Amino acid sequence: MEILERLFNVSLIVATLRTTTPILLVALGGSFTTKAGIFNIGLEGQMLVGAFFAVIGTIFTGSPWLGVLCGVIAALVLAYVFALLVVTFKANEVVVGLALNILAGGMTISLLTAIFGHRGSIFGHGLVGLPAVKLPFARELGVFGQMISGYTPLVYVAFILVPLLVIFYRRTKLGLYIRVVGEKPEAAEALGISISRIRYTSSLLCGLLAGLAGAHLSLGYTTMFTENMSSGRGFMAVAILIFSNGDPWRILAGCMLFGFSDALSLRLQTLGISSYLVLAVPYLVALAALFALSYRARPKLIRETIESMSRVLSVKPATESGKGS
Amino acid sequence: MTDRLAALSGQALAILLALALGAVVILTVDENPLTVLTTLLRGAFGSPDRIAGTLLQATPILVCGIAACISLRGGLFNIGIEGQLFMGGFAAAWVGFSFALPPFIHLAVAIVFAAFAGLLWIAIPAWFRARYNANEVVSTILANYVAILITSYLTINIFKAPGGLSETPPILPSAWLPEFFSFSRLNWGLVIGLVLAVATHFFFLRTASGYAISEMGANPKFAEYGGIDIKRQGFFVLLASGAVGGLAGGIEALGVHHRFMEGFAPGFGFDGVIAALLANGSPLGTIVTALFFGALRNGSLLLEVDTTASREIITVVQALIILAVSAQITIRRKASDSTAGERRWKF
Repeated sequence: MEILERLFNVSLIVATLRTTTPILLVALGGSFTTKAGIFNIGLEGQMLVGAFFAVIGTIFTGSPWLGVLCGVIAALVLAYVFALLVVTFKANEVVVGLALNILAGGMTISLLTAIFGHRGSIFGHGLVGLPAVKLPFARELGVFGQMISGYTPLVYVAFILVPLLVIFYRRTKLGLYIRVVGEKPEAAEALGISISRIRYTSSLLCGLLAGLAGAHLSLGYTTMFTENMSSGRGFMAVAILIFSNGDPWRILAGCMLFGFSDALSLRLQTLGISSYLVLAVPYLVALAALFALSYRARPKLIRETIESMSRVLSVKPATESGKGS
Repeated sequence: MTDRLAALSGQALAILLALALGAVVILTVDENPLTVLTTLLRGAFGSPDRIAGTLLQATPILVCGIAACISLRGGLFNIGIEGQLFMGGFAAAWVGFSFALPPFIHLAVAIVFAAFAGLLWIAIPAWFRARYNANEVVSTILANYVAILITSYLTINIFKAPGGLSETPPILPSAWLPEFFSFSRLNWGLVIGLVLAVATHFFFLRTASGYAISEMGANPKFAEYGGIDIKRQGFFVLLASGAVGGLAGGIEALGVHHRFMEGFAPGFGFDGVIAALLANGSPLGTIVTALFFGALRNGSLLLEVDTTASREIITVVQALIILAVSAQITIRRKASDSTAGERRWKF
């Protein structure tokens, strides 16, 4: 009983929210490409350069916010190269994604050596993390207040993005176009939607969030950069994207599952279980979820899109088809 | 033939472009590209023991590359070769230090165990891929992390040798792969790799099952209409790929390290995948690309000694080459038959 109490308490929920955030941000980014019909395995690398350049930017400008901006820009560059090769040159998505991940790993370590003279980790050097947000009304809420207050800003951004993305996909034209391009490209073409433009847009939106995820990793979650610090979170996000099919609520559910298993496994470490086995837990959870949910078919999703498409199109049929191409 | 020539010159152009980009990258880390190049060449081919070192580095890349070729030919991506290599390496080391068997038999048993460990490690992702179409790219990548952690656990928590290093007890000499020279650890693993490459080449060229696998890779639907059970065949292709990945680990353990340790083989599995991609899934071509990457790797060791550049700069150059070539690589899975807009990947 005592062990259970040590494992499950408010701070476990806090830890879960903390560990959920980086993977949630990157998975939400990946939802753009997934919905647009691109298999984006390059999330890992985008996240890594985001983390690295966020740290570099912070050290050189002194402001963590400018650091976040640097991280996002770096991830956007990688996302642009991905889109260029995959969309314009029609290269294989897996090959390009894989190569960009390897590039990101090698580049960050090379630059680490070139700038700081050693590889491994960097901290200090005037590196400051993002400030924690103390919600003003949190104190009156007691335990619940403890649960929702005091995180770094990108934690809130991640969770607020979930409903926003739901609205984006359901209610906005761009969101709808992205879905149509992913699920019924012939229909998109018939409507005069430029498939490549939509795919570029979704790839860049993906890079934006993957960069934020990386910046959160190095400036919010921790205040340091370690080589290969994304440690497979991008790949876990891809696993989540496969079984959620890019749906924001399901992404949230999947990410919470990982956040929870991550947080719980960190606590198991305090019980004397080997850290190697404990660290393997999130990957095993990802694999188990991928396998368990892989047999499910997805015809329902396509039907939903056609329904909402006809709904939106019936509202303004004339203007809809001309734009976006 | 002219098509082939055009494709080859395109490939060469892409590599040149990547090397030019690599030179730019080297400039950004404050090094002279020419110095880097000559240092690399000196490090890779400067003396007999350096050449042997290059071949030694190329061996695991070659074997991993063949593993990747097998899956790529079948239109499947086994990105988990790194994990299979770790499992195979540990299994070989375990047989090597746990049992005392006569020479050669001991070696053979250790090699079989290595291949079997790799096969087992891919079996679950392969089965779910075949049965439920679970994406094998992601599952094999995630399995890498698990394999590395599990072998570390086994090495450090269960089989750790006395002393401060995170390694298993040494493999008994009866299970070592014999070395060629006194000045290098270059061993029979290279011959195994070369024989395997040629055998795989002829398997795809001459045998009915090899043809059926290529058929599946080129066009799975067509292969299915032609009466091939693509689920079953895909399962076995991944198993074979995993077994070769495990074998690569066995060769590293039995030929080079003579034990298993933490950080056993950094990135050979990924290098193998890249080598196979650059060779467009051809086992004979992989011999060339593996030698190329082996030279880069071996040269980069001297690079780190003689200049301030990190050896990871080589990884950057490799990735750039693949990116440049990827624009024209025609991996079988790329749906050349479908229109541009069609969803190219079925989850």
